[in-house]
Amino acid sequence: MSAGLPFIVHLDADAFFVSVELALRPELRGKKVAVGGRERGIIASASYEARACGVYTPMPTVRALAVCPDLILLPHVGKYGEVSRQMFDLCETLTPWVQRNSIDEGYLDLKPCGLKSTAEIEAVVRGLQARIWDALQIPVSMGIATNKLVAQIASKLRKPRGFVVVAPGDEAAFLAPLDIGKLPGVGTKTEAALQARGLRTVGDVLALNDREAEAVFGRDWRGMQALARGEDDRPVETEHEDAKSYSQQETFATDIAAFAEIERVAKRMIDDLLPKIREDGKRARTLTVKVRYGDFTQESAGRSLPEASDLEMPFYPLVTPLLRQAWTQRRPLRLVSVKFSGIEAGPRQLDLFSEDAEKRRKLAAVLDKLNGRGAVVKHGHQLDGKG
Amino acid sequence: MKFKINRDHFSNGLAQVLNVVGSKATMPILSNVLIEAEKDYISLTTTNLDLGIRCKIKAEVKEGGSVTLPVKRLATIVRELPNVDVSFDATPNHQVKLTSGGSTFRIMGIGKEEFPPLPEFGDDKSFTLEQAELTSMLKSVSYAQSSDETRYILNGVYFNFRDGKLSLVATDGRRLALISKELEVPADSAGSIILPAKTVSELTRMLDKGEKLKIAFNDRRASFQISTDKDSSGLVDSIYLYSKVVEGNYPNYQQVIPKETHQRIKLERELFLQCVHRAALVTSEKSNSVKIKLTSNLLEITAQSPDFGEAHESMAIAYSGPDLQVAFNPAFVLDPLKALTKDEIFFELKDEVSPGVFKTLESFICVIMPVRLS
Repeated sequence: MSAGLPFIVHLDADAFFVSVELALRPELRGKKVAVGGRERGIIASASYEARACGVYTPMPTVRALAVCPDLILLPHVGKYGEVSRQMFDLCETLTPWVQRNSIDEGYLDLKPCGLKSTAEIEAVVRGLQARIWDALQIPVSMGIATNKLVAQIASKLRKPRGFVVVAPGDEAAFLAPLDIGKLPGVGTKTEAALQARGLRTVGDVLALNDREAEAVFGRDWRGMQALARGEDDRPVETEHEDAKSYSQQETFATDIAAFAEIERVAKRMIDDLLPKIREDGKRARTLTVKVRYGDFTQESAGRSLPEASDLEMPFYPLVTPLLRQAWTQRRPLRLVSVKFSGIEAGPRQLDLFSEDAEKRRKLAAVLDKLNGRGAVVKHGHQLDGKG
Repeated sequence: MKFKINRDHFSNGLAQVLNVVGSKATMPILSNVLIEAEKDYISLTTTNLDLGIRCKIKAEVKEGGSVTLPVKRLATIVRELPNVDVSFDATPNHQVKLTSGGSTFRIMGIGKEEFPPLPEFGDDKSFTLEQAELTSMLKSVSYAQSSDETRYILNGVYFNFRDGKLSLVATDGRRLALISKELEVPADSAGSIILPAKTVSELTRMLDKGEKLKIAFNDRRASFQISTDKDSSGLVDSIYLYSKVVEGNYPNYQQVIPKETHQRIKLERELFLQCVHRAALVTSEKSNSVKIKLTSNLLEITAQSPDFGEAHESMAIAYSGPDLQVAFNPAFVLDPLKALTKDEIFFELKDEVSPGVFKTLESFICVIMPVRLS
């Protein structure tokens, strides 16, 4: 009986980065506000007032200021990670089953709460919405349904401060009138293509017969129809999934053409990322370098070590060849990024001929500790040049 | 070319050379065996350009000559022929007629002209060894070779003729096996080679045919002349094996062999082998280690994998040192135990990050690096 209740909640913070900043500067509430880098950056988050003027994310700041000249641009100041953690901690006072999807949205499963009716569920979720506002001044939208798919679509429907409940059994009817683009996996391009074939709403998908559906969606047409009916059995996963990669990127104030400078930036990113990998007790095998030109076209190149490592040394020699391989056009770069993947953990087979590596590992541990205490010990390659 | 031959002798000869074929795409003739008939024998030769093998089989040669035929198919056909008497008849346009009992096969061959010649057995540094002894030495170390192609220097067994002994070494960078035997090494014959893994495996396969073998080598090549005096399946003279060597400097293995002994235990090889083998049954690819724990007169072996379960084995031993615990990849422990034949072996340990060392009373050493947990 109770299994039929809408136990799944999708919580989606409204304009999270802006909301965090506004909590620090409440006088700006109701104004056209955005968070983003000024000179060459992009808009990370925009208030709903700014969105009404045509500001969206991610949008280059320059363009945002062009469409909305009175936009108030705030630098990144707030402690987003900290606020996010507090927000989800509040969720966990309600139920232990909380899936933190990203910094500003996640799922709650209320099954363990002993709630007996949809009305009770609504009451506790409204209470949570209010508590998050009271404690953190972060507005959130809630979608409540029997599964993650429908809850997620519901939470995004009436932002900001949305509160949408989809009663059990009403999933298909709820989705039917919505734009087909609301379905996960249907992006703007797909949406346009589907519209061209006369499919505008989610309901239109179910109106097709099998042969038509197969013609439009190909082999996976049954999956698409299940989506359109609002069927989804993915569980709320409480375990934090282990990081599958570690990455960092940097957008330059002005495009950089000098190879040596880019190389130094990439190596510095390696120096930033490996202490995190070591802190997590992990090792990485693959290094990928990505470059982006002024016109946003980008290229990347990656290479794997024979064995995963948590030391900088084996990765340094890869930087130059990877940069050469990725940076094929003789144009200055707007952005460079570095990604470690092929993450491994657990027991490590020691090597016979690598006494050096063991010494380096000890040294790295000492440096990580020092740097963690506020000292700044850097590798030599970060010192030359203007840094 | 025309000869008569015993089916089983022919089959035995083809089996010797069968494994050495080249890539068909680049040079089709490398999939063929060169058959040459002269006097009272035929010689069979295959090569993949890195390694070549030649053996001789007695035959009743009526007309000398040569031809090449696809070796795998030929070997299969010869093995299946109905009668022990086989006659082989090649026309000048390289068509071969094979007759045995009521069976006749006509096989398209290729002329000898395209077949790459094997290098001559030159005046290099050379040594004569006992086949049985080299077999056992190779078996003691060859499991430790690396198969990681990025460490090609380690893809073979290192032969070091120096200081009055022959040492064989193999390592994959995590474990190292070394065995030596006394051997008279004249000063101008001292030298070393890295014999490629493929050659090692072919050589090991052939070393039961006779008493002695002769090894000759220079910086680029090694050759083996393996006598077949104990063979009774038609092989005559010797089997010849010509191989390229792995070019480069072998790592300084002496530096990774621990100079001091910390804790030493004597083990019954077979018993220890069985215990580790059983414990390893619960390991998985993700948690591939067995923990070895020493306490007063007790050796415990434990292993576990989170998604399956755990195993615990214990053995009474003579031990009075400090308690210690160290984890290893089970294969690193099992491989030397399986390769050795002695009933008793010594195992030396220090702590959880130092190598474990297997020794026997002969000059055998196997150093294995631990797995560091946490």
